[in-house]
Amino acid sequence: MARGFRRRGHGKNLRYAARLDPLERAVIAGLMEQVVELLDPPSPVAGPVSGESDFDHIVAGLGGLGMGVSVAAEDQDVWPDASSVPADARSFGELDPALQRLLPAANREDEQASAEFRRLTEAGLRARKAANLELSLKALRREGNAVEVDATVAHAMLVALTDVRLVLGERLGLRDDEDVDALHSSLAGRSDDDPVVHAHAVYDFLTWLQETLAEALLGGLERG
Amino acid sequence: MSIAPVEEEVTSTDGLVDPDLPWITLVWNDPVNLMSYVTFVFQSYFGYSREKSEKLMMDVHVEGRAVVSNGSREKMEIDTEALQGYGLWATFQKDT
Repeated sequence: MARGFRRRGHGKNLRYAARLDPLERAVIAGLMEQVVELLDPPSPVAGPVSGESDFDHIVAGLGGLGMGVSVAAEDQDVWPDASSVPADARSFGELDPALQRLLPAANREDEQASAEFRRLTEAGLRARKAANLELSLKALRREGNAVEVDATVAHAMLVALTDVRLVLGERLGLRDDEDVDALHSSLAGRSDDDPVVHAHAVYDFLTWLQETLAEALLGGLERG
Repeated sequence: MSIAPVEEEVTSTDGLVDPDLPWITLVWNDPVNLMSYVTFVFQSYFGYSREKSEKLMMDVHVEGRAVVSNGSREKMEIDTEALQGYGLWATFQKDT
């Protein structure tokens, strides 16, 4: 039985500890790995290699901007029930809606400002999110049922759990508060082996775990 | 000596620089982010009090969005980037 995060110790010895069995850790780690993959640009923006034409460099740059990213095949691997992603979720051009949620347009009034912001921040945001996920993965892969992390890793894990839940939530069609109610009422009509039922159970588990970590970290802020 | 043509007056009017109107950072409601988490982000990133962070979080939740900071465009872009790093649905725009 899993036990959520609690604060332990003070000052330098402050730790955030939870109890998660190997299966629970494997489920979380598996999702975190998938989000790392989602965040990994298909053709990283590399510095110009000698002999490389300007054209190649520009094409590589476009890849780095996330254009033409197709994770459709990966979606199938994760959730075989493609119907859980409403058709209108594909209307964000070539960008995976889950990636679009992780890296949303930053200016709703000015497309050009959004594009400029994306050009300046996308690589950094992708790298920082991946770093949070990797730090969390390291902690989850340790032997034993206890997950015990310092404040830095706890902070990274809190953000990593957010990004995993955002991707999973998007796959479950959760875009506004009404979608949550609609999903709940749809669950009753689904069989136990429906992937959506399983995905929802995992989502609920992650929500509970993140809530305990957020509360523990909020408590840590109060203590200064 | 020539008298400044009318066009030049018009041109000079066009050349007036807008006063540096403040920009704002907005956070939009989403069904995934937890209330406790959003409060934590406002408190730890902005250094806002628990009370102010909870008030802003409730504004996002109830109103659908809230202005979480204001200032220069550069600063708002920094805030937006940081909040997107936290997974919040943050945007920036000119305050109107």
